Amino acid sequence: MAKTPTPLSKEFLKGLWNENPILRMLLGLCPTLAVTNSAINGLSMGLATTFALLCSSILISLLRKIIPSQVRIAGYIVIIATFVTVADKFLAAYLPEISKELGPYVPLIVVNCIILGRQEAFSSKNGVGRSIIDALGMGSGFILVLLVLGSIRELFGSATIFNLQILGDWFNPWMIMILPPGAFLTLGLLIGLGNWLNERKVKI
Amino acid sequence: MNKTTKMVIVLTVITGLSGAILSSWDSVTKPKIEYHKLQALKAAISDVLPSYDYYEEKDIDGKTIYIGKLNDSTQPTGIAFKVDGSGFQGNLSIMVGVDPSFTSITGIKVLEQIETPGLGTKIVEDPSNKTNPFWFPEQFVGVIFSPQINVVKNSIPQNSNEIQAISGATISSKAVVRILNEDIVTIKELYQSVN
Amino acid sequence: MNLLLLFISAAIVNNFVLTYFLGICPFVGVSKRVSSAVSMGLAVMFVMTITAAVTWLIYHLLLVPYHIEILEYVSFILVIASLVQLVEMFIKKVSKPLYDTLGIYLPLITTNCAILGLALFSVLRDYSFVESLVFGIGAGAGFTLALVIMAGIREELELSNIPKPFRGAGITMIVAGSLALAFMGFAGLISM
Repeated sequence: MAKTPTPLSKEFLKGLWNENPILRMLLGLCPTLAVTNSAINGLSMGLATTFALLCSSILISLLRKIIPSQVRIAGYIVIIATFVTVADKFLAAYLPEISKELGPYVPLIVVNCIILGRQEAFSSKNGVGRSIIDALGMGSGFILVLLVLGSIRELFGSATIFNLQILGDWFNPWMIMILPPGAFLTLGLLIGLGNWLNERKVKI
Repeated sequence: MNKTTKMVIVLTVITGLSGAILSSWDSVTKPKIEYHKLQALKAAISDVLPSYDYYEEKDIDGKTIYIGKLNDSTQPTGIAFKVDGSGFQGNLSIMVGVDPSFTSITGIKVLEQIETPGLGTKIVEDPSNKTNPFWFPEQFVGVIFSPQINVVKNSIPQNSNEIQAISGATISSKAVVRILNEDIVTIKELYQSVN
Repeated sequence: MNLLLLFISAAIVNNFVLTYFLGICPFVGVSKRVSSAVSMGLAVMFVMTITAAVTWLIYHLLLVPYHIEILEYVSFILVIASLVQLVEMFIKKVSKPLYDTLGIYLPLITTNCAILGLALFSVLRDYSFVESLVFGIGAGAGFTLALVIMAGIREELELSNIPKPFRGAGITMIVAGSLALAFMGFAGLISM
């Protein structure tokens, strides 16, 4: 008996909340902590990752019947690394300021478990159309968390969001927020908040 | 088709495709990336040397130096070079400019640092930004570095080889001076051995 | 750069996990028991050292002379994947119990950002072969240190009453924050 295919809207939305790659699946934590010291950095990293994820998902979905199972991981890795290199060199050539801010964390998108995870779990088993939706959903969920985390850290660490002064001079910035401990603490609180909200949703 | 053959072919094709995409992308982006690097270098050199019309890049024994020159003169206006060392948290990379006779500094610019934000980073922060009394690198203009540069705290430097540390960034300030003291002499000896 | 300072910097002052956020996934996943943390840490340290050596050779003897530095990320990750495969086979032959303890986490070392990060930093900072090697050992030692400390703390936390939403990843992140704060105190060790 054929399973009723999940509606496309659900396929997209799952990445935003239920299966949010960072808060629920705990994937891609390295860049999440490293480049969320400001909103613009978080957003740029999210976009770069989504680009690599989208392109990889499309290509791997197209090739899914051709790549033999034994070499699939090696194949996926080469494809992912290729698109990440494209994204990294793009930033270095056309947006050098952002490239400097994100630094070596852009090439580290190669080992971002989100991308490899989605190829294994989804793109290798689904058509191109669905894979695109899945990638966009996961990517959006990722960008969302990075934006929120980046904005919170920038707000309390530098009193700005996207470099616009939000809090006045009365506020003495908490330097810790733009340093590693602040990243860990904020993410921990966000994960806890996500879990708590999810519990309440289930009860309702 | 034999399983192993298929594996090899597929992987070879994927790797080949990757190579093709990347080498063409490389030829598009490489010139722009080099351009940005060059712009940053030019900006750093012009920040530390007195005015020049062009600069000449020279390699002495593995060390690269940049000689500022005027169009209508063979005399250089100054020599610029990079020095590196340990700061408080990590590596400090500084562009230094000296006068042609290697007696005084014409300017410094901190290129790379990962000092403590809000504290150590004061060595690169703009004084119009609230808490700094002065712009740290500016002090170095005209400073004599022999026998060595000395750091004073909480008082105005009295001698021409002294600079004042920024409060809250004492260790970072001292690190900058330590690196300058160690490396300027080395470059001086190298330069004067070929000139 | 002084090799001892390089080691201390990589292991403690600029700890890969607590300062550069590399290797967080296994940090959260394997740090529940001190014994598995030690095994994982040592496996990672082993892979890191070899990776440091091999990637340096590939970059400086192959990519640079032929001007194909654009292939840096692709070649590095392939090297790492192969190395991990080899280490897995090696451990399976030499010590089956160790192999079983590490389980799924062994192949996951491939996607450990710390390993690729190590190779990338080494190129970025233009380290020599020996410096790369020391950097790799130091980074691995630091990773193991952070992992073991975290495991020790989590073993104690099991007996405490943590609010439900924070159990697991939430509290681990918060503890990591405190650890990172503590490690910040080591800054200044290297500017002697």
